[in-house]
Amino acid sequence: MEYASAEPHPEAALLRPIENPGKSFYYIVGILLVIILYTGFVYFRQLLYGLGVTGMAQPVTWGFYIINFVFFIGISHAGTLISAILRLSKAEWRRPITRMAEVITAIVLAIGGLHPIIDLGRPDRMMHLFYNGRLQSPLLWDVTSITAYFTASTVYLYIPMIPDIAILRDRGVQPRWLYEFLSWGWQGTEKQHKVLDRAMNILMVVVIPIAVSVHTIISYIFAMTVQPGWHSTIFGPYFVVGAIFSGIAAILVLMIVFRKVFRLEGYLKHIHFNYLSILLLIMSLIWFYFTFSEYLTGYYGHEPNEMRVFWYKFAGDFAPFFWAMIICNFFLPVALLCNSRTRTIPGILIASISVMIGMWLERLIIVVPSLANPRLPYPTGIYIPSHTEWMLFLGGVSVFVLGYMVFARFFPVISIWEIQEGRHESAKAVNERIRSYMPDPEPTSAAE
Amino acid sequence: MNKKIIEGLQILSISLIWLLFTGIAVWIVTLIRESLKLHDAPDASVGISIVAIPVFFLLASVLTYVFVGLRKGRKEHTER
Amino acid sequence: MKWGMVIDLQKCTGCGECAAACKLENNVAIVAHKESEMGRTMLWMDMLTIYEGEYPRLRVRQIPRPCMHCDHPPCTKVCPVRATYINEEGIVAQIYPQCIGCRYCMAACPYTVKSFNWYKPSFPPGMARTTNPDVSVRPVGVVEKCTFCIHRLQIAREQAKSEARDLRENDYQPACGASCPTGAIVFGDLENANHQVNRLAHNPRATKLLEDLGTEPKVIYLKEVD
Repeated sequence: MEYASAEPHPEAALLRPIENPGKSFYYIVGILLVIILYTGFVYFRQLLYGLGVTGMAQPVTWGFYIINFVFFIGISHAGTLISAILRLSKAEWRRPITRMAEVITAIVLAIGGLHPIIDLGRPDRMMHLFYNGRLQSPLLWDVTSITAYFTASTVYLYIPMIPDIAILRDRGVQPRWLYEFLSWGWQGTEKQHKVLDRAMNILMVVVIPIAVSVHTIISYIFAMTVQPGWHSTIFGPYFVVGAIFSGIAAILVLMIVFRKVFRLEGYLKHIHFNYLSILLLIMSLIWFYFTFSEYLTGYYGHEPNEMRVFWYKFAGDFAPFFWAMIICNFFLPVALLCNSRTRTIPGILIASISVMIGMWLERLIIVVPSLANPRLPYPTGIYIPSHTEWMLFLGGVSVFVLGYMVFARFFPVISIWEIQEGRHESAKAVNERIRSYMPDPEPTSAAE
Repeated sequence: MNKKIIEGLQILSISLIWLLFTGIAVWIVTLIRESLKLHDAPDASVGISIVAIPVFFLLASVLTYVFVGLRKGRKEHTER
Repeated sequence: MKWGMVIDLQKCTGCGECAAACKLENNVAIVAHKESEMGRTMLWMDMLTIYEGEYPRLRVRQIPRPCMHCDHPPCTKVCPVRATYINEEGIVAQIYPQCIGCRYCMAACPYTVKSFNWYKPSFPPGMARTTNPDVSVRPVGVVEKCTFCIHRLQIAREQAKSEARDLRENDYQPACGASCPTGAIVFGDLENANHQVNRLAHNPRATKLLEDLGTEPKVIYLKEVD
């Protein structure tokens, strides 16, 4: 392909996926599209026949869709939050990571937000939420908070991307009108930089409470009922911690994949993985602390219904999942990440994947056992998800991969201008900052 | 593509964002009124949702600020 | 007015007539055997099996379980579209055309009384034409449950109005109460001193299911004494 300006860009490696996507890009997109089409067909079947095609029944009336809803929203969490925290704390190593993380949020949030709609028995009546909604239902709070988070994180992704879009525009990358449209006449003048900085500062501060609120409110769906195992005051922060935990794992997996696929070893260095994986380790410990206090209070209170759910998880039908979750979320990552010899890229990859599996299991363990143990003596069976539910899960993951690939095809996943800014200015800025931390020199004795 | 069309699209998108957020605000206000009418556990949920309205408007304002600011911050055309 | 039900377990034989009568009265769908095995049986009036004691002194009881029509229903609070609500007479009603099928009310109900239409409701051949015309057959994808046969109240009220008199106790009886062969299910206005339920509700044997949750059910059980 021929481009208007063919001179090599100093950050050429970051532009490669956009200017030279290569053939394999189209193959993978093709495969993903096939999966997504089939998922669409499966969902169409569900629309046609009703939710009977799933494995849900009474009393387990919520299954995979709600589990995946909580899981995906959890994954979406870390992106914007981590990026905002790193930017606010002026952590210089954030530069190659922030954009990648923010994209996860935007895409996964859209997928997660669709899940409650998939779960509806009557999606055709969804508009009732808008003209007949009732504010006292936690589901409505969710609609508002997810909308707020989605718009906020998209804006937060887009605004710091404007200078990069302008770079692409100036290089004449096709489709030109798109970059022209999205770059809003960015020319990199001092005044424009000032505007951008100010907007980013406001957004960073706004986005953090919104992000925290979203997962808290998702936990409220469960915590606001009186059901054993759900009605817990700790659920809000517990969900937020779990969300950040799984989100960091997702960022790490993606970083490792991108580094490999786009040969970004020069940008994503070992130190980035090291820092993030220590964060993952800390989150793992915090997660364990929350899990421990959640179950210990339940156990000590010894309320009979609570105990039924408790034993169902610890030694009953869900024991394999429960103990797998503890291993995946705590023992394995802690063992791998505590030791600097195993805190290598493959080690981090294994730990991150294990955390993602573990966090999915955690959502399963929160949603199903409480429903499977009703208070009154009903005959209960075990919930077995159907082909439809598995397919929609796989479809959701495929949409995520596809979404990310399409994004990476049109926009740089590592912020070019922020890297350049880092190269040119941050050494001086950091030096100055460090000098400002240091105690002032002692006044000379003459002054005494 | 024509510069004029792109400019038109940009202004259109800003207006759409404001329209969307105003729509959301109107929706939340309707919900609050409904819940007061029906005597639904109003206090807590109303409080939570009232907070959401300024958040949306803040987002729209930040976007508008960026868009207007970038336009104003451009170099003179003769420079290019 | 506050409609309520008293179920005298001393009189109840656990025959299940109430459950059958309810099913026919309210056009509750009859699900296929395979679906039923999965746990998708639809019963507005279910029979709970309760085990008391241990093996040599084991006693198995079947007790009827309608919707409790709580005064503080956990289900209506979580419905995002007001498809379930409590009316001024204390009946927790469902609005089927409004329900979006999120099943939040089912998850929130501590008594697990609600059923969901996983498929389009079906009836065995021939039965589809004998459905009760007073009750709508529900569409696919909505939640349903016992309504205390609210359609009977509407009919009784119209009847009383046309005869220019007040509603009498016997005018409005749900199908379960009307069908009970031993008269164990008594229905009426809990606030009306002339109604039988009002007297029975204050019986020392009276208990409510899961009373400690504070849902204030309006279905009252009279304990067995032996």
